[in-house]
Amino acid sequence: MAIAEMFLWWYVHGWSVFVQKIKNFMASIIDFFSMSDLVRTLFQPFRQISAATASAESSLDLKFHMFIDRLVSRIVGFFSRLTLLLAGTIIILLGAILSLVLIVLWPVIPLAPLAGIILTITGAFL
Amino acid sequence: MKNSFDPKNPRIHQARERSALNSPAVITLNFVIFALLFIGGLTLLFFKLAIGWTFLGFSTLPLMLIFWIKNALDTIPLGKTDDFTDLLSPDLLLLLKSDTTPADLVKIIPKTRSGAFLMARFMLTIPVLEQIAPFFPTSIEPIYNAARTIREQTNSKTIDGAILITAAIASIPNYEQILNQLKLSLNDLYQGITWFNYLNGHLKDRKKPVHTGGIARDFAFGYTPTLQHFAINLSTRFSGFSQKIQQAENAEIMQKIIDTFTHGGRQNVALIGAYGSGRSSIVNSLAETLMNADSKVPTSLKYRQIYSLDAPSLISAAKNQGELEYLMIKILNEIYSAKNIILCLDNAHLFFEEGPGSVDIANLLVPVLEAGRIRIIMIMDDQKFLEISAKNPALANSLNKIIVNPSNREETLKILMDQAPLLEYQKHVVYTYQSLVEAYRLGEQYIHDVEMPGKAKLLLESAANYSDRGLVTAESVQTAVEKSYGVKVKVADSNEDKNKLLNLEQLIHARMIDQQEAVSAVANALRRAGAGVKNESRPIGTFLFLGPTGVGKTELAKTLSEVYFNGESNIIRLDMNEFASPDDVNRLIRDGATDATSLTAEVMKQPFAVVLLDEIEKAHPAVLTTLLQVLDEGILRDEKNREVSFRDTIIIATSNAGANTIRDQIIAGHSIADFKEPLIESLISSGEFKPEFLNRFDEICLFKPLSKQDLVGVLDLIIASTNKTLEPQKIAVNLTPGAKQILIEKGYDPKMGARPMRRIVQKTVENIVAAAILSGAAQPGSQLTITENEISIT
Repeated sequence: MAIAEMFLWWYVHGWSVFVQKIKNFMASIIDFFSMSDLVRTLFQPFRQISAATASAESSLDLKFHMFIDRLVSRIVGFFSRLTLLLAGTIIILLGAILSLVLIVLWPVIPLAPLAGIILTITGAFL
Repeated sequence: MKNSFDPKNPRIHQARERSALNSPAVITLNFVIFALLFIGGLTLLFFKLAIGWTFLGFSTLPLMLIFWIKNALDTIPLGKTDDFTDLLSPDLLLLLKSDTTPADLVKIIPKTRSGAFLMARFMLTIPVLEQIAPFFPTSIEPIYNAARTIREQTNSKTIDGAILITAAIASIPNYEQILNQLKLSLNDLYQGITWFNYLNGHLKDRKKPVHTGGIARDFAFGYTPTLQHFAINLSTRFSGFSQKIQQAENAEIMQKIIDTFTHGGRQNVALIGAYGSGRSSIVNSLAETLMNADSKVPTSLKYRQIYSLDAPSLISAAKNQGELEYLMIKILNEIYSAKNIILCLDNAHLFFEEGPGSVDIANLLVPVLEAGRIRIIMIMDDQKFLEISAKNPALANSLNKIIVNPSNREETLKILMDQAPLLEYQKHVVYTYQSLVEAYRLGEQYIHDVEMPGKAKLLLESAANYSDRGLVTAESVQTAVEKSYGVKVKVADSNEDKNKLLNLEQLIHARMIDQQEAVSAVANALRRAGAGVKNESRPIGTFLFLGPTGVGKTELAKTLSEVYFNGESNIIRLDMNEFASPDDVNRLIRDGATDATSLTAEVMKQPFAVVLLDEIEKAHPAVLTTLLQVLDEGILRDEKNREVSFRDTIIIATSNAGANTIRDQIIAGHSIADFKEPLIESLISSGEFKPEFLNRFDEICLFKPLSKQDLVGVLDLIIASTNKTLEPQKIAVNLTPGAKQILIEKGYDPKMGARPMRRIVQKTVENIVAAAILSGAAQPGSQLTITENEISIT
């Protein structure tokens, strides 16, 4: 009785529950890699190193020095963020592909025992 | 809409399935089966055996089963109709039957989570329920009907055990009488249901994932090594730690802070309120909210971290003012560069005044506050804020002030319910609802330097030390107050206490003679207090004793202190002739730190005492005016504007005013009742006392002069006192009737009362005893009998 109910639930409600879980999982990955923040702050100085600003009265030399500092900091920030952004994107893509496969396979998962019996009888894929 | 239990309802079947399958054992078993099938299948395939496919195929079944159990059976949704069974909680679905009777509920309710919660929190033990059960309605339908109503009134999702037991009690025709015996009301039980719903919802919320920004959250923000050394990161401490009720109560203030930090202008907030009013909790809630990715805060504030600067460690780390300013500048520079820090200065006054543990760096901070480039939250005491404002108006003008008011009873109870689980976890106890209510009541009455909800929390913390087998009850809170503040708050319940109160007159008369009216008046006041029927907004009793000198006015105050107030040392005596000038008002209310003998300081130290205002007629009118509030409301504010409670004192003022009239009237054979009113009128008309002063006393007691007959008793008491003094030497003294008669003749003076008698006894009896001891005539164990001859010679 319980097994029959389980199969019924699998096709009626289970699917949407699974999709919701996938959504939560993806949201957690996106949060873990701070994806939106990485994109928003892509060109900002890394860790605000050399965040000091030269005033209008500062010498040209100092202003140039500060500019270079900030530029280096922004370049470091850009590459470190890009690296993480790429790593996060790959993980998210892999997760998305896996999730998509699982969503597509969802209706056939209950048929796995039957498939197993057929493969055993036919002796295929050995 | 069926109002009965339907055993065929499909939810019952779901509940049974859930009960049978959703257990750690079943889940573990399924995992083991999956692992065996999966590994077995792979192994068989490795050895080219086709049966391995069957193993692998069947290995999906236990996984599917786990997914189904954890998602489909974890919650049983409400039914689609409004039938009673469709509204029941899963545990009740399993426990109720179609033939369940009201009496059966006593056994069913403790088996439900919410029912057990309500029973524990309200001390509704099984024996208590068994006593109530005979009063339940004979049919179950009215209870089910009431449960349906209570569910709606408490906004509960389901009808659970807590609602059902509340409904059962509410269905009793005279339920109020039963609840009164338990010191509860129906509204209290409703609060209990809401409390359970809140905690249950909180538990479910904790299962949801918390998003806090991820690993790159702080990439765009700078390092703050110095700040981290001298500050506590409230954001990491409270991230994911939800204080929902506190947040709800303080939502308005939190929104004001957010508005201040997101609009232009000075980026600072000064949270001004008394200690304990929840100022720090607001900052903690804000820290939690800003770190929660799912909270609705402006982007410019998201993931901003609140650091609370540890003033003592900062001040102690700096050798001098210059070094401190250097450190502070370094910290402020780090905060400015980091871009994601909100600085919190708890007890901010420490940075604006010179003193032990504080240093004035206003000259450094004011420009920073005015520039508005760094977000700062200051937590300040309202009194300190006034002091700093007076000293430094520029600072006060540069702050965005937000007043934090103390919470009221309803808010405080909600906050206590919210925080009780945390306290319970820390103290390993369980708080009853009654203990929370009592903590509020007694906190309001006895704690004056802290505000709500802080004072109630303080009491709950100390009450944990007096729990009854881990259960903190209202009595635990009362004991904590009695131990901490030296007052009596419990209604007399032991036989010893009750007997003492019932026989107070006899106990007092063991030390003093006659004066029935005054003795009865004070005894009645104490009985009212002991039975818990006194007005809690006034002292236990306020009395004015009028009469000639030496008739026992002061003695009664001392006796009272000895008999009821834990010893004669618990008497606060003020000779009012020392308060004869208007400047002496200050001596009444002086801060205890500068004058430990002021009235307010003495009562702060000894709140449960007899306050004796001797010779009150000699005090200056300004002093008497100051005392009016004490007599009326039991409160006196000291020079630091702190409320000092006199509500656990008995105030006795004595005066010789009208002594001659009393003596003359008594000698003329009148009773006190005959001339009491005219005498009081004459005291008012002669200007000795103002009517508003006399009207403040609960009772004005007239003391009559002692007769020769009374002096016999006085003499016996004095001799008993002498014997008590001789007790360590094991020597006793007694007088022959003749000796007594001589002493009474010598010691009787209608104008001076019993005082001459004491002097005579000293001159005669005590001298005789002293001589006998020195000469060796009186040895330990001996009994000296003094005759009239010996008295005559001395």
